[in-house]
This record gives sequence, structure tokens and C-alpha cells, in this order.
Amino acid sequence: MKIVVLVKQVPDSGAERNLRSDDNTVDRGSANNVINEMDEYAIEEALSIQEKHGGEVVVLTMGPSGATESIRKALSMGPDSAVHVADDALHGSCAVATSKVLAAAIGQLDADLIICGAESTDGRVQVMPHMIAERLGIAALTGARKLTVDGSTLTIERQTEEGYEVVTASTPAVVSVWDTINEPRYPSFKGIMAAKKKPLETKSLADLGVDASEVGFDGATSTVVEHSKRPPRQAGNKVADSGDGGVQLVQYLSSEKFV
Amino acid sequence: MDFDLTPEQQLLRDSVAALGRRFGHSYYVDKAKAGEHTDELWAEAAKLGYLGVGVPTEYGGGGGGITELAIVSEELAAAGCPLLLIVVSPAIAATVIARHGTPEQRTAYLPGFADGTLKCCFAITEPDAGSNFHRLATVARRDGDDYVLSGRKVFISGVDESAYVLVVARMADERSGRLQPALFVVPTDAPGLSTTKIDMEIVSPENQYMLFLDDVRVPADALVGGSVDAGLPALFSGLNPERITVAAMGIGTARYALERASSYVAGRSVWGRPVGSHQGVAHPLAHAAVQVELARLMIAKAAHLYDAGRDVEAGVAANMAKYASSEAAVLAVDTAIQVHGGNGMTTEYGVATLMGGVRAGRIAPVSREMILNFVAQHVLGQEKSY
Ligand SMILES: Cc1cc2nc3c(=O)[nH]c(=O)nc-3n(C[C@H](O)[C@H](O)[C@H](O)COP(=O)(O)OP(=O)(O)OC[C@H]3O[C@@H](n4cnc5c(N)ncnc54)[C@H](O)[C@@H]3O)c2cc1C
Ligand SMILES: Cc1cc2nc3c(=O)[nH]c(=O)nc-3n(C[C@H](O)[C@H](O)[C@H](O)COP(=O)(O)OP(=O)(O)OC[C@H]3O[C@@H](n4cnc5c(N)ncnc54)[C@H](O)[C@@H]3O)c2cc1C
Repeated sequence: MKIVVLVKQVPDSGAERNLRSDDNTVDRGSANNVINEMDEYAIEEALSIQEKHGGEVVVLTMGPSGATESIRKALSMGPDSAVHVADDALHGSCAVATSKVLAAAIGQLDADLIICGAESTDGRVQVMPHMIAERLGIAALTGARKLTVDGSTLTIERQTEEGYEVVTASTPAVVSVWDTINEPRYPSFKGIMAAKKKPLETKSLADLGVDASEVGFDGATSTVVEHSKRPPRQAGNKVADSGDGGVQLVQYLSSEKFV
Repeated sequence: MDFDLTPEQQLLRDSVAALGRRFGHSYYVDKAKAGEHTDELWAEAAKLGYLGVGVPTEYGGGGGGITELAIVSEELAAAGCPLLLIVVSPAIAATVIARHGTPEQRTAYLPGFADGTLKCCFAITEPDAGSNFHRLATVARRDGDDYVLSGRKVFISGVDESAYVLVVARMADERSGRLQPALFVVPTDAPGLSTTKIDMEIVSPENQYMLFLDDVRVPADALVGGSVDAGLPALFSGLNPERITVAAMGIGTARYALERASSYVAGRSVWGRPVGSHQGVAHPLAHAAVQVELARLMIAKAAHLYDAGRDVEAGVAANMAKYASSEAAVLAVDTAIQVHGGNGMTTEYGVATLMGGVRAGRIAPVSREMILNFVAQHVLGQEKSY
């Protein structure tokens, strides 16, 4: 089985993040860029399937040249190789255009299974798995908290608000995963040292046969017109307990209709 | 000059830090207070190859150097989990075997150091020969095909957790008749070897023991390097790695304390503003942060020199790094306790729990006075004072 894992580099969600003031895109220059958290679960899932069923795991990233750092980290966890789609024309691409590029890259890889995170911590749109599956004409099994592979049959437990749904499809298919699915491994020291020797192929839009006008700002189906900082948090009400703290808390909760 | 880690070293640092944070200081303290060991953390770090980073690849290790092992030691400590046995087992014992063991000893022990399944503690200190190892009274004598060891050791860390203890003894040189240091790999369950636990005032999952060697018989192949000539160079080869990794562990602990303290004082206000806004609080923390960073630079330099094979220069740097680290660590932890006010002395806030460990770092494995003696003599050219 050949598994392609989609790995996106994002600004660390634990730190201060911004949009750029010049073109309203995510500010990567000043951020600490890391692997999108959910994608580490996708990598882990791919590796554990490979351990059980054999095959090959390929990391696929679309992103600026600095994304190689995250690709190397992904490879240090254990995948066999990586493809990095990098092209200046991609800057400013919307989700629809990104799905076109990723689908084109996957098309060249002849994958049986594509695994990705259910969402990225920067965009948080949760549409990539569906759009890629649509473009490739294959099934999308999304929001998995469990994935079982039995020959060419894939079964997931799709996590929902109330519980879960069991959904099956046959390969090839796209599976997106939540962080409930596994516990990602840490890169081993051998994995870290091996990662720098693993094949990492860089592809341009021309290599993928995608026209530059279909991507970037020119090809974007949506535009960020304006952005502003989240308003600073209002200072909360401190309840000083001088014997009636409990009463004051209940008064507050009922005035806000929480109780 | 380049102060950057390689991308691989950086990734190792991040990965070890993430592993350490998953366990955290409360895990460490709970284990220590329950009289247990941090076996789960050790096993996971071992499995990931973090403990065997420095073991040659032909024996299944990572093929890195002391720089990498120092990173592991520092980052686990910086997550609140200083693992003392890193200093003894992979740093001292594995280095001694890798550099001076016979081919058979390398084959026998290095794979276990590589995957962390083998723990070997280190016994040099004696009741009457602490800082002065020229006065070691533990002797080994040849008896047929065996050696027989007798003597006493004190403060030996981790004997209860280790399959072997690397014992520094003295043996009569057949040619000169002089007593020379000789190192033996002794199983901790060898007949004649007994231990008594020493009660220590350190919050640590590692214990110190008295070790009694009462005619402990070991086969000839227990002698490191297979010859008495290997003794002194083997002993010295363990010292730089020991100093560098213990310095790294101390400075990791210091970073942990400063991180806890900084976040505490930023959030705690008793006069209507965060206590950290008072210079009386912020300056001591800033001062400690400067000392910590200076010590880290020296550790990096010492590790770099050692990995470059420049042992003599590494010796000076490693001693200075050890000195600077233990002083900075005591300062950082003490300051962290102070700025926590009363909470500084609680178990919950996890800073007073660090005090015993960093305080011991000024005494062991080599005391600050002995380092100052070394610097005075070898760097400043003064007469030997003792
Ligand atoms: C937590 C802990 C773990 C340890 N683990 C191990 C271990 O695993 N294996 C092991 O072999 N040992 C271990 N030790 C022992 C440690 O290495 C010794 O305690 C240390 O080397 C000091 O020796 P000593 O205790 O005999 O002190 P002494 O030699 O008695 O020294 C007492 C004091 O006098 C000072 N002093 C001595 N000589 C001089 C001099 N010439 N000039 C100036 N000052 C001097 C010393 O600096 C010290 O302050 C451990 C100790 C501790 C506290
Ligand atoms: C073992 C022990 C026994 C105790 N027993 C008692 C007892 O019997 N009865 C009792 O009432 N209390 C007791 N205490 C509490 C003790 O008196 C307080 O912990 C102490 O007064 C410090 O207050 P705090 O912990 O709130 O620290 P904080 O006031 O939060 O201070 C935190 C840090 O900020 C510094 N700081 C605070 N304000 C300023 C400022 N304006 N300028 C510069 N620095 C500042 C402090 O010096 C300290 O370093 C005990 C504490 C301990 C540890």
C-alpha cells in the first residue's frame, strides 16, 4: 500500500500569530513554524498502517521553501520520502487552488491512501480532504477517530458531536483524522539522522502541469479584504470572598443565565 | 565561529523536550517520593535512541557525540526530569567501554548502552578517598584466571537499578609493583558484593549506596581493556563526558526553575501589580538567567572540543562548565524559590524540590574546590596546593 500523508507547515498555534499587513496572508516570516498539529496524527496513522501492512509512506507538502524544515521533521518520524511543492506563484492561494495543486501532486504519486489532518490550525476550514477527494474522484472518509485497513477496504469511526459513525470505502481514498486517533511518536535519534538522507523531491507548478494563473492571488476564489486584531480581553470580574463569595458567584451565573 | 546547532541537533532538542514535558516534574517528584524510579521515562527515552545517541553506530547506537548526550541530559532536566543515571551509565560507563574496552567488552556491553536496556553505575568514591582518588583503598588481586576485589565505596548512585557497576580499584603492576588504577565491570549481584542505602536529603528517584566488596571474584575479562595499562586512560576518558553531562543536567534544572519562576511572578500580584514588576524580584531572576546562559555556552564549548577529539582543551572547558553550571543552578533554584514567596517551599510549585539536586551538584561528581584547584594549577600555573 502506498500512503501519501499531507503535511502543512503552520505558525505555532501556541504562540502569537498574525496576518501580514501588506497582503493579508499568514505571516510566516515572524512566526515559529511547525508541523500542523493534526498532521502529526496523520503521519502516525500512516506509519502504523505501514508497520502492519507494509508499503510506502510519502509526505506531501505545499509551501514556501522554509517548509523543508517541517518536512525533515516529518521524515524523522519515519516516512520513506517526501514531495515538496514549492513555487513563488503559489503565494496567496485559496483553499480551492491548494486542493488543485495537491490533487495534481497526488495524481503523480499513484497513491492507495491519502491521510491528512482534519483541519489545520491556521486556516481551520476543514475542506481540504473533501476537495481533494472530489478532484481525484475518490471517496473521502473524514474526521476519523479510528481507521482500520482490511485489504482494499477502509473503515473509519467518524467522530461526531454525539458519538461516532462507521463509514467504509475502498481504496483509493482520502482519510482525515482527529487527534483522538492515536498518540504520535517522537522522532527517534536514528530517525532524525536518517531523515537528512531520505529522498525529498521539489516540484514546481510546471512539473505538476498546473497553470500559474489558476493559483496564487490571481486564481484565488476568495480574498481577505481586511483584518484586524482580536480585541484585547476585557478584565473579568474578580469575586473577593469575604464570606459571601458563593452567593456572589451564583448571582453572577444567574444574571448571565448560565444557571 | 558558529553558535547554531545543526538541524538534527535542534530536532533532537525539540523531540527530547517534548518527551520530557509529557512526563514533567510532578511525575519525577511522585516517583522520588514513592521511592520508585523513573522507569517509564527511561524506557521511552531509551527506545527512541536518546540514551544511546553517543554509542557508535556499529553497536546499534546513534553515532553522535557528547554534544548530543548533553542535549538529552539538559532537555529532560529542563522539563523537570533530571536523570542522574544519564551521567553515569551512557556518559561515563559507555564512553569508557567504547574507548578502552576490549573488542569482546564492546560487543558485550555497547548494544545494551545503545538501546538503553543496560544500566551500569560507577563506583570511585571511597570513605577515605573522596576527592583524592590516588588514595583509593579498593584493591584487586590476581587469583588464577580471576581477579578478586575488596574494599568499600560510598555515595554510589543507582546500584539498585543497575545490572553492573564499573568499579575503580587499584592493582599491583606486575613489572613495577606500583599500585595502578584498574577498572572492572562487576555484576551488581556478584557474590561478596553488598550494599547499604544512604539516606539523602535530595528529592530524587535515584539512590546512593555504600558498596562493600568482600572478596568479589570476577573473571579476567571483567578488567576494562584487558590490562592494567588501560586503567588510567580509561578512567580519564570518563571524566569529561561526566562533567559535561552533569553540567547540562544542572543547567537544564536551572532553566526549569527560571521558567517556573518567571511565569509565577508575572501572574502573582500582591501590591496590585505583578510581583515580577518589582526590580527586587526581576533583577535576581535576570541575573540568574545571565549566569545560566553563560554556563550553557561553556557546556557547548566543552562538548564541541570533546567531540573534536581535543581532550586536553576539553578538560579545562568541561571543568569550567561544570563549575559554572553548578553555581548557576544553585543561584537559579534559590532565586526561583525566593520569588515564589511561601509557595516556593511547597511541593506543589515544584521549585524547592530541585534544591537538593542542584546543591549536590556543587559537591558531586567533583567538588567546586577541586575544580578551582585544577584551574589554579593548570590554567593559572600555580603550584599544586594539596
Ligand atoms: C548525590 C551524590 C551522588 C554521588 N554519586 C556518586 C557515584 O555515583 N559514584 C561515585 O563514585 N561517587 C558519587 N558521589 C560521591 C562524590 O563524587 C563525592 O562526594 C565528591 O567527589 C566529594 O568527595 P567527598 O564526599 O569524599 O568529599 P571530601 O573529599 O571529604 O571533601 C570534603 C570537602 O573538602 C573539600 N576538599 C577536599 N580536598 C580538597 C583540597 N585538596 N583542596 C580544597 N578543598 C578540598 C571538598 O571540596 C569538599 O568541599 C556522589 C555524591 C553525591 C552527593
Ligand atoms: C515554612 C513557612 C511557614 C509559614 N508560617 C506562617 C505562619 O505561621 N503564619 C502566617 O501567617 N504565615 C506563614 N507563612 C507565610 C509567610 O509569611 C509568607 O509566605 C511570606 O510572608 C511571603 O508571602 P507570600 O508567600 O505571599 O509571597 P509574595 O508576597 O507573593 O511574594 C513573592 C515574592 O515577591 C517579593 N515581593 C513581594 N512584594 C514585593 C515588593 N513590593 N517589592 C519587592 N519584592 C516583593 C517577595 O519578597 C517574594 O520574593 C509561612 C511560610 C512558610 C514558607
